[in-house]
Amino acid sequence: MSEKQTKQTTAPVKGGDTLKRAVGFIGTDNLSLMFALVFLVFLVTIVSGWFGMDGGDKFFSWQNLMNSLAQAVVIVGLIAIGETVVIIAGGLDISVGSIASIGSVVAASVLVGVGTIGSLSFLTGNVVIAVLAGIIAGMIAGAINGAIITTLRVNPTIATLGTLAAFAGFAFLLAPDGKPVGVMTQPSFTWLAQGRFLEDAAIPALGGAKWTGIPVLTVILVIVAIFAHILMSYTDFGRAIYAIGGNATAARLAGINLSRVKILMYMLSGGIAGLSGVLLAARTTSGNPINGNGLELQAITAVFLGGAATSGGKGTIVGTFLAVILVGVLNNGMNLLGFNTFIQRVALGLLLVAAVATSQWRQARAESSRTRIANAS
Amino acid sequence: MTETALSNPPPLPLVKPGTLEIRGISKAFPNVQALTDVSLDIRPGEILAFMGENGAGKSTLLKIINGDYQPDTGTLLMNGQQLTFSSPHVAHKAGIRVIYQEPEIIPGVDVAENIWVGELPKRFGLLDRTRLNEQVRGSLKEYGFEGALPMTLLGDELSSAQRQLVEIMRALKSGVRVLALDEPTSSLTDDEVDRLFALVRRLRDEGVAIIYVSHRIKEILQLCDRVAILRDGNLIAVKPAAELNDAEIVRLMVGRELSSVFQRKRAGTSREILRVENIKSNWHDDVSFRINAGEVVGFAGLVGAGRTELAKVIFGELPKNSGHVILDGQDVTIHRPDEAIAKGIGFAPEDRKREGLVLIRSVLENASMAILKQLSRFHFVNSRLERTVISKFIEKLRVRTPSLEQEVGKLSGGNQQKIVLARWLAAKPKVLILDEPTRGIDVGAKAEIYRLIDDLANEGLGIMLISSELSEILGLSDRIYVMQNGRISGELDGKTATEEAVLGLAIKDHFAANQKATEISNQKDSTL
Repeated sequence: MSEKQTKQTTAPVKGGDTLKRAVGFIGTDNLSLMFALVFLVFLVTIVSGWFGMDGGDKFFSWQNLMNSLAQAVVIVGLIAIGETVVIIAGGLDISVGSIASIGSVVAASVLVGVGTIGSLSFLTGNVVIAVLAGIIAGMIAGAINGAIITTLRVNPTIATLGTLAAFAGFAFLLAPDGKPVGVMTQPSFTWLAQGRFLEDAAIPALGGAKWTGIPVLTVILVIVAIFAHILMSYTDFGRAIYAIGGNATAARLAGINLSRVKILMYMLSGGIAGLSGVLLAARTTSGNPINGNGLELQAITAVFLGGAATSGGKGTIVGTFLAVILVGVLNNGMNLLGFNTFIQRVALGLLLVAAVATSQWRQARAESSRTRIANAS
Repeated sequence: MTETALSNPPPLPLVKPGTLEIRGISKAFPNVQALTDVSLDIRPGEILAFMGENGAGKSTLLKIINGDYQPDTGTLLMNGQQLTFSSPHVAHKAGIRVIYQEPEIIPGVDVAENIWVGELPKRFGLLDRTRLNEQVRGSLKEYGFEGALPMTLLGDELSSAQRQLVEIMRALKSGVRVLALDEPTSSLTDDEVDRLFALVRRLRDEGVAIIYVSHRIKEILQLCDRVAILRDGNLIAVKPAAELNDAEIVRLMVGRELSSVFQRKRAGTSREILRVENIKSNWHDDVSFRINAGEVVGFAGLVGAGRTELAKVIFGELPKNSGHVILDGQDVTIHRPDEAIAKGIGFAPEDRKREGLVLIRSVLENASMAILKQLSRFHFVNSRLERTVISKFIEKLRVRTPSLEQEVGKLSGGNQQKIVLARWLAAKPKVLILDEPTRGIDVGAKAEIYRLIDDLANEGLGIMLISSELSEILGLSDRIYVMQNGRISGELDGKTATEEAVLGLAIKDHFAANQKATEISNQKDSTL
């Protein structure tokens, strides 16, 4: 008996063929996202073909892939990555859009040396200092969120709904006279959003348009995503996040310092939102206090679409990354096919509801299978 | 019509009195046989007591009578007619009422409406407030509760005693044959207890069959006509109260064969590993105790005595007002569980699904949760080291799991508990607190866990074992502390302790408190 048990314990699951192992590695959730992505791309091209709309065939052009799609996805993608961490831990950060606005204004003011923040800075014109200032401003905002949630014990949804409004107002207060700070004259700063790597590489034309290089923005997104993936998969912080989301009481009783982890997590989410704000300032060439408006909705949609559970404890950076691309393709496809932005907003709202409904259904199914097994044993 | 109602309060709408016969009732829950073939008559005009330890089956039996649970086998008969209760509502219609400790009261609604809920008198489709108030005032007067239960109070303004009264009035209003009271006096003052007893006696005299569930032996001997004693789901004895005394009841409640239970060869060193001095908290009044290295120290007591809370106070999960924890000779300050773990205390909580495990995460992650710091360098978890360390304990504990990646929620109860234990074995604490370590676990896994506790103590750990199973406490402990009402009511040597001695200490103050109540009520009776 005992021999048999030991064998069962030590023997790894023999996956059999490579296909199974590959599916296991990618994860079924992520795989279905990939299918959805392919389906959507097909839809865009085929629908445009059938109805004679002239957008579809543009989809597979370097112009579209590297400009419109890649760039549109980056800002939301960054915020969604920070949001993923928060949602896995069973929290929610609605204030990310406003934090991005703050990051935008702070970075621009430091760079140009105007406004309340700008007047404090001794090193105007330094891009690195400006970027760091934006990120740090976001981290401070996140720390405030974390403190409200842990020490005052306010429900995260309500807490960050409050700070969403407060930070939005604060972004205006930071801007000189509430006006946007122009950074048009700072090419080394706007390069962050408009620059490209490998522009001169000899890559053949695709879809009639020639290779235009890889946007700096895309590279930043990929770097942050890899960083977050490593953080969540290989560090004690990531373990703590998953544990807290799965069962906060059990996590605390197993020695995880909940307050510390939660505050760090909201700082991470805030810092990333701050960075997105900085990049928004670079892209729009202005530190505008309305830069981040509405980003939270798209980001949260992507996180749930990426397979995170509303109750916490489940979700991956990879899933969110794929979902962000999916949302980007959806928007981009609708753009190409000539749908207006109102229709796009309706679609995005419905997508959020659908994503959460799917996630709830999956949880219910998992729950019932657990109960069945527990009862059977 | 209205006039008669005013002058004559409505009489008790007694349904014809009847004998409730319980015939061969058995009920099993996953891993637990709650009741085995219980047969019993509850006759009109008598008060029958149900007694037994925690988990003896009293509550289950009440819930079956009330229609909350369906029995697996067996029947209920009323005057020879078979009853099938699909829900409490059906039982109520048949004239059977169980008054639980916390009756369901609608918070924002006054007493009168709470009593008549579901059957409010209507006039032209609207609430007939006048008639309602008359009826309620009449019946409150009838039973002598006018002062005790002001009709204008809202549900959430009622005390526990008043809530119970509302529930009793509900029962009386709709006609009652069998009335069961579950620990009715646990939150009542002496005066309220007297009134309740007067009411219960009066109902008995009017022909109601009454079931009275309580831990308080004195009360039972004073009030009840017969006593039914349950133990481990079996009906042990039904005897007239006049033939019983304190000692006899305790003996019947605990008299279990001990031979089948694990007996630890007692060891224990004289090196003190944990000393707790004068802990005062919201739950505790000056608790002090010590645990030596290599010792298993049992904590016995009734549910609610404050044992789990004591563990949580020591572990930093609950706050304390004053007192010291001295761990291995050092006075330590602990505010949070992670500090307790860092200092060398482990805690396996009672409710492993809610407090012990993250059910949706893997065996590996759950087991390594308390030692992540040791497994990490620059915050990166060394997963190879993690697997080596954890799989050692998974094998040692013989956890049945297909892999270390298995979701913990998909394991059986016994294996889940082993994962919690594996976590603490890996953390290598100096003191390990085990709260009900074998609850809801099958017999085989229980024996393995007993052996493990024994091994751990022999390796030099100090073990604080909280358990409501007396056999477990007696079989494993070197020393036993008995707790009652947030205090330690006695210390016993594990070798010589008996179940009677432990139970005596666990309900000692009930004796004393009730002695006083009895004296007072006797005086009152004599003056009347």
